[in-house]
Amino acid sequence: MAENEPKILSFLCNWCSYGAADLAGVSRMEYPPNIRVIRIPCTGRMNPKFILAGLRQGADAVWVSG
Amino acid sequence: MKNLLEHTGIEPGRLHFSWVSSAESTKFVEVVKKITEEVKALNSNKAYAKTKPKVD
Amino acid sequence: MITFKLNGKTVQGEEGQYILQVAEKYGVDIPTLCNHKALEPAGMCRVCTVEVFDGRRTRFVTSCNYPIWEGMEVNTETELVREGRKLIVELLLARCPEVPAIQKLAKKYGITEIRFHKEADTCILCGLCTRVCEKMGARAISLTGRGVDMKVDTPYHLNTDACFGCGACASLCPTGHITLEKINREFTTRTLQLIPSEYDMGLRGRKPIYVPYAQAVPNIPAIDRDVCMHFKAGGCQICKEFCGVNAIDHSMQDEFIELEVGAIVLAPGFKPYDPSRLDFYGYHRLPNVVTSMQYERILSASGPFGGHLVRPSDHKEPKKIAWFQCVGSRDQNRCKNSYCSSVCCMYAIKEAVISKEHAGKDLDCAIFFMDMRTPGKEFEKFYNDARDRHGVRFIRSRVHTVDPAPDGHSLAIRYVMENGETVSEIFDMIVLSIGLETPPEMIELAGRLGVELTPGNFCRTDAFHPVNTSKEGVFVCGAFQGPKDIPQSVIDASAAAAAAQELLAGARGTMARTKEVVPEINIAGERPRIGVFVCKCGTNIAGVVDVPAVRDYAAGLPYVEYAADNLYTCSQDTQETMTQIIREKNLNRVVVAACTPKTHEPLFQETLINAGLNKYLFEMTNIRNQDSWVHKNNPRLATDKAKDLVRMAVAKVALMEPLKEIELPVNHTTMVIGGGISGMAAAKSFALQGFETHLVEKSDRLGGQALNLYHTATGEGVQEKLCEMIKSVESDKKIHLHLNTTITAVEGFVGNFKTTLSSNGNQEVLEHGAVILATGAAPYVPDEYAYGKDPRILTSLELDKKFIANDPMICNLKSAIFIQCVGSREPQRPYCSRVCCTHSIENALELKKRNPDMNIYILYRDIRTYGEKEYLYKQAREKGVIFIRYSVDNKPRLEIRKEGLAVTVTDHVLGRPIEILTDLVTLATAVVPYKDEALANFFKVSMNDDGFFIEKHAKLGPSEFSTDGVYLCGMAHYPKPIDESIAQAKAAVSRAVTLLSKASIFSSGTIAQVDPTKCAGCGVCVAICPFSAPSIIDKGRFAGKAEINPVLCKGCGLCEASCRSGAIHLKGFDTDQIFSQIFELNAAM
Repeated sequence: MAENEPKILSFLCNWCSYGAADLAGVSRMEYPPNIRVIRIPCTGRMNPKFILAGLRQGADAVWVSG
Repeated sequence: MKNLLEHTGIEPGRLHFSWVSSAESTKFVEVVKKITEEVKALNSNKAYAKTKPKVD
Repeated sequence: MITFKLNGKTVQGEEGQYILQVAEKYGVDIPTLCNHKALEPAGMCRVCTVEVFDGRRTRFVTSCNYPIWEGMEVNTETELVREGRKLIVELLLARCPEVPAIQKLAKKYGITEIRFHKEADTCILCGLCTRVCEKMGARAISLTGRGVDMKVDTPYHLNTDACFGCGACASLCPTGHITLEKINREFTTRTLQLIPSEYDMGLRGRKPIYVPYAQAVPNIPAIDRDVCMHFKAGGCQICKEFCGVNAIDHSMQDEFIELEVGAIVLAPGFKPYDPSRLDFYGYHRLPNVVTSMQYERILSASGPFGGHLVRPSDHKEPKKIAWFQCVGSRDQNRCKNSYCSSVCCMYAIKEAVISKEHAGKDLDCAIFFMDMRTPGKEFEKFYNDARDRHGVRFIRSRVHTVDPAPDGHSLAIRYVMENGETVSEIFDMIVLSIGLETPPEMIELAGRLGVELTPGNFCRTDAFHPVNTSKEGVFVCGAFQGPKDIPQSVIDASAAAAAAQELLAGARGTMARTKEVVPEINIAGERPRIGVFVCKCGTNIAGVVDVPAVRDYAAGLPYVEYAADNLYTCSQDTQETMTQIIREKNLNRVVVAACTPKTHEPLFQETLINAGLNKYLFEMTNIRNQDSWVHKNNPRLATDKAKDLVRMAVAKVALMEPLKEIELPVNHTTMVIGGGISGMAAAKSFALQGFETHLVEKSDRLGGQALNLYHTATGEGVQEKLCEMIKSVESDKKIHLHLNTTITAVEGFVGNFKTTLSSNGNQEVLEHGAVILATGAAPYVPDEYAYGKDPRILTSLELDKKFIANDPMICNLKSAIFIQCVGSREPQRPYCSRVCCTHSIENALELKKRNPDMNIYILYRDIRTYGEKEYLYKQAREKGVIFIRYSVDNKPRLEIRKEGLAVTVTDHVLGRPIEILTDLVTLATAVVPYKDEALANFFKVSMNDDGFFIEKHAKLGPSEFSTDGVYLCGMAHYPKPIDESIAQAKAAVSRAVTLLSKASIFSSGTIAQVDPTKCAGCGVCVAICPFSAPSIIDKGRFAGKAEINPVLCKGCGLCEASCRSGAIHLKGFDTDQIFSQIFELNAAM
């Protein structure tokens, strides 16, 4: 992976942001291809350990969106 | 959480939270763009990442 | 198949293909200006020139129309080709120096100066326009003239009706030579305009082939025959060539389908009022005067301006916006709609608040209104917040003049204030709060069905049968029954379904078919054998992501036994192939990389079930909506992303285990708590649908508050109908009455409740599957206006009692005063009680009927006779009832005197206090809920600040609770009149029957489970769960530990995240599964 193409680990709520991401696709919008999405049932599912693990695995950032 | 990360040497810009409803695709795209730009400005994350073991 | 060499590489193409087509397939870029996939190539622009070697000599040919042949050698980027192309581009640039497309090409070929004579043309004579015009079947334009005089034109340079104004030429023109204006000016005799998008209320155009809106169901495009060129001119059909799956068939005809049904529900909705009929508002004439429906689209993120709040004329952000209420409503003179449209006040406030949230506090929002009508649940609070917190201006006035302002965009308005002063103000935009109307075609259909309409052309119903039309077996719901908002429409819809089911209960389930069950293969102990299916989705994915590369990559991942790509993974035949492959290859886990699991996961899970696999041994990853569609200009990174996503999914699926969906039987007995109108209506509906029902009432008789009511708003006598209703409930064998009974304990959950009833010291435990709370509300007992100190001061219900008893006292009155909002819309009780305005006006009319000479005054704050109740208000004014508005900080004062009751009120027109001496004062008192905390705790439901129960969803779930199996209706939800109470009672029954019609219910597989050996019994999960799923076990080996009821768990994961001991596992999204995805983030690590 090139130095300027960071990976952003993203936790998206199935009902909110994941839906928005789908709709962005349906609307053929464009955005940078740097996010890697993990679908979670609800942001309540988030555990701080996931964030730490992501960063430890070399994610350049972690994004949690409800 | 952000404070904790900062304490351990991770820039706060590496953790983002947002709320986007399932109809707000425009906002979703805006947030992705914003975060990507911010993270690009930070360079890659070296603080925590395990280094690859050298195998000969 | 023809094999030849392209830039030294061996390539293959089909017989009859041209070089350009094959080059495109192999990703070799050849510039062209005059080529279009759907048109025969013509070799006009010459930019696509390439070099062909036939074994003996090299030739220059135009690649777009040069057919391929076996053994040829083509070079697209030799020095000579580049030089030749450069010359061609330079000549084109000399002809059209200002055309961006050619400037871009020139830049690419390094042309800095033009050596030829420059012209000022914009047409390169590529002939795309004439060829597409011919293809359309119109043949309106052609290349006319010879040599240097050649140009695109119509015959004799005359505007022609052969041109349909379809705009195809303009859309293909590479240089911008043909524009819509040019077509209107020079080609067509018709008027060319954008096809207005219905969804965007004409603020945008749409195509002849279109999906009405992004969330449409089914989400399949349709061809609009009225504008499609194929249906107009016979040609085109270009869409057919682009459709990869041959789905387009222009010969399809409308079908007539005959159905035999037992009941019909009419839900045709409404048509927004068209304000162009009221010319003084300038709608259509002035672009910045928009309707509220258009404004909704302007505010929407998917709207014409991408959610950016700008005005249509110049796309500038407005600084001042005005809303005009009652456009097309409450207006007998100018539009014949004398009813109130019920929803406009609230939506205008909502739009104003959202606008301020969008544009910031400095945006000035002003709402011009007559009465502010916010009688819905939580609406008054929203109104107060809009005024006090958001600073929305509310101006009680009707604007009489709208003129364009001198800048040509803004609007100058004039209106008269209450004190008589005329005010002029300039706004950047005006929103017309348009009302609701029944569409003319529905009026006509009603005539054909034999369904009676009201004076406002809504469907006629009566208060005790709110969803029955005048025709038996035909039911109605939504705005066709009367103007109403979403919650009320949803209530009606469920009610209409219940009413139809009452009729058809015997037929329930008779037409259901059962599915054959494939036995599930036991995979315990097997190592994962994963199958990965990568979908191309036609070109939707494959056009961007390198699907074969992703497939090959997937094949090399751990535990992957099989990887394939499919053109359309979701197609019927692929599903069958998948089932076969799963069986043949003995796969025990499946990953599908395709579109979104939100729409397609159930489909693929079904395939797993058919193959004998547990449906949770599946993971779907989204490489379309969240990859190929959004990164189309970055195929390399999109492919990388797809690989990452597939790897993460493979890692997760390896850890998936078969999950059980727990089956629980449903008890088909029901319980209704509360014996008022709502409770009785609910019990009766249950009984009619065949369910044994326990009706629990704490007092000694049925009827509730309705026992005190005289008339409904439509003038029906309440007592008579109520008696009938009580009798029919009492005599119903399926209804078991429990009078003088309270509830002392509740155990269990959805489908299996155990409720303890207590009556005169006797306890009884009943088992039931569902429960409806219909506990109602009580009238407020006022301590203001000297209530209780004089027999001439009554509450509304006390006056009704006098009517019922035919008390002679009321016939001998000379005057009467009604005081509105007693105990409502006050700081301690901020909500509007919804029913009191109508009730007082109705009673005023009754007094007038008995004694037309009586002087009647109604002292009010806003008259809220929503819907067709507005007619009563109008009638009362016509009959001489005097309405005097007072303000909340200057309330009327009442003094008891010997000669009568003296009421002093400050009149809003005169602006000074007036004193009225009267014989009777009626206080329109608030409706107050019982706030039964014990009952709320028993069924784990909650109440709002005012003490009304909180429904599952304010708009979409008004008749049920978040706690499964518990439903809600009547005034315990919010104050409402009889018709709305009965509708909600039926709605609650309808919701309950969706549960009760099943023999058993299944939990989801993706639910939380407690490991009791790790659980510390701290109770955090019990406190945090919004669905009351966890509880502490009270006896047995694991007493004191938590357990989670699988039926109540919605799988949100809140408890797992909150569990301090790590004892809770959320199946399907377990910690190790999410970690496995995280660990696979970077393959190299």
